[in-house]
Amino acid sequence: MTDQQDTTDSTDPGRSSDANGSVPRETVSIPSEIELPDLLDFYERQTPEHTQIAEFYENLDDGRLTTTRCTDCGEIHFPPRIVCPECMADDLEYVDLPHKGELFAFSESRGGTPLGYHDTSPFVVAVVDLGEIKLSARIDDARYDDLEIGDPVSLKIVDIEGGSASERVFYRFVPKGDTQ
Amino acid sequence: MTRNVAIVGGGTSDWGDRDASWKDLAQEGGKATFDAVPDIGPEDIEGLFVGAVQPERFANQTHVAPMVAELLGIDVTEMIARTELACASGQAALRYAWLAIAAGQLDTALVLGVEKMNLGREHMPEVQSSMANVLDREFDGVNGLAAPPFFAWYAQRHMHEYGTTREQLSKVAAKNKTNASRTDFAQFQSTVEEDEITESPEIAPPLHLYDCSGITDGATGVIVMSEEKAREVTDTPAWITGSGQSSMAGNSINNLPSFDGWPQAREASQNAYEQAGIEDPLSEIDVAEVHDCFSISEIIEYEELGFCERGEGGQFIEDGRSHLDGDVAVNPRGGLLGCGHPLGATGVSQALEITQQFQGTVSSDRQVEDATTGLIHNLSGSASVHSVMTLGRDPQ
Ligand SMILES: [Zn+2]
Repeated sequence: MTDQQDTTDSTDPGRSSDANGSVPRETVSIPSEIELPDLLDFYERQTPEHTQIAEFYENLDDGRLTTTRCTDCGEIHFPPRIVCPECMADDLEYVDLPHKGELFAFSESRGGTPLGYHDTSPFVVAVVDLGEIKLSARIDDARYDDLEIGDPVSLKIVDIEGGSASERVFYRFVPKGDTQ
Repeated sequence: MTRNVAIVGGGTSDWGDRDASWKDLAQEGGKATFDAVPDIGPEDIEGLFVGAVQPERFANQTHVAPMVAELLGIDVTEMIARTELACASGQAALRYAWLAIAAGQLDTALVLGVEKMNLGREHMPEVQSSMANVLDREFDGVNGLAAPPFFAWYAQRHMHEYGTTREQLSKVAAKNKTNASRTDFAQFQSTVEEDEITESPEIAPPLHLYDCSGITDGATGVIVMSEEKAREVTDTPAWITGSGQSSMAGNSINNLPSFDGWPQAREASQNAYEQAGIEDPLSEIDVAEVHDCFSISEIIEYEELGFCERGEGGQFIEDGRSHLDGDVAVNPRGGLLGCGHPLGATGVSQALEITQQFQGTVSSDRQVEDATTGLIHNLSGSASVHSVMTLGRDPQ
């Protein structure tokens, strides 16, 4: 590069500037909106071709909250696994979890809410104690000010609309008594 | 460790909602670092460690360490890596540099933390999505669980178990925001009164806006060297005397060991203290930069880092024991609550603050008198990992 610059002078056509627009120019477009790809939303792709814990989601679709138990050491895992972290065995079975639990801790998301959820803000998000396990979950049909630690809650299933070609489901909880 | 390792100095970009790209910030932080250590230039750097959490989401860019090398004119000859450990990525980068130098692989490293987070108000939900994804996205992030409600649970449980009060949370925030008013690169430089904290919007009850650290752009670097090389550069480096980390095989909500404490912080700090020969952290540590991502975090950290008993963190701040003139000056820089929290840069900035406290080069109104022993602490993700590093004015 240095050598070339040494031999360059003002008559080099590559260096001349032509204010009359000899530099070609055109508009190229990118889409202003794209459909939210399911890889970019929060929900896992739930079918057997995408995940080996598809049975968890199939059970949930059937109205059952389940998780894996190791048939070797008996450990209950949550979230469900394909390998037992206690003993490295991979012979796991699905067992039912209780559908009723208690609020162990909770807050309400009122600001700083993630993409796709800001339209539903505020919402309550909690640690639900099911006895054998604790999990995080949204608490529907409730406001923070009406709840207390220890309040009973029960399972609710939501069908996820949009975002993906396949139908997806997830779990939430509601204050006990409000469940249909 | 086989060789002593020291931080000889460093520098920082301004932190805040910056009109600057990821690459601009990296250049500002790098230049500030080399400007602050005039004896060391890019040509001296054998190892480069870049702390960066989400350049993929915030700047649409991967493989950022070689980009930093190019931007700063560094020909790496020994080791180059980007570290990702969520909010502890900066300290993780520093830890890699320490280990590489202690092991004799190299003598001089640049550790640079960089994060670009402010993408415009309209993109804030996208940024918050990325923050929720530091949790187990499939089972926890999916519930819209960004950081504020997660740490709100800890505040609620700590209040429930130990009687910690809303006023005590406010005292932490007010202290750190006052300290940050004396830090020229900080994102938030206005002091905030205690009652203004509970008057600010409730982001995730019981946490208000001023209980939360910011969304921050920034880049901060330090030069880390072997003892032999460090002594050629300065008489007052900060020696890395101990470093510990702990996860407890728990990352998703069901598998976390506690919701009112962080035993991982206790284990990580005990490990570091043992290396550093620290037996009584409260009397021996003069200055501590701890991870106050939320006001409640600092209260729990007083307890787990051994400054007070479990459950007494609220009383510890109420008694003013973590103030600049208290038993241990906690977050003299202003912490994450005052300085902001450009994820990958935070740990590096904490280490730089301790170094400058030893060197007596911080603003005189936040200088801790006769500081000889310091500590940095970060938690990351669902607070599932805690990282602690001890620093000393003597190599011990
Ligand atoms: Zn097992």
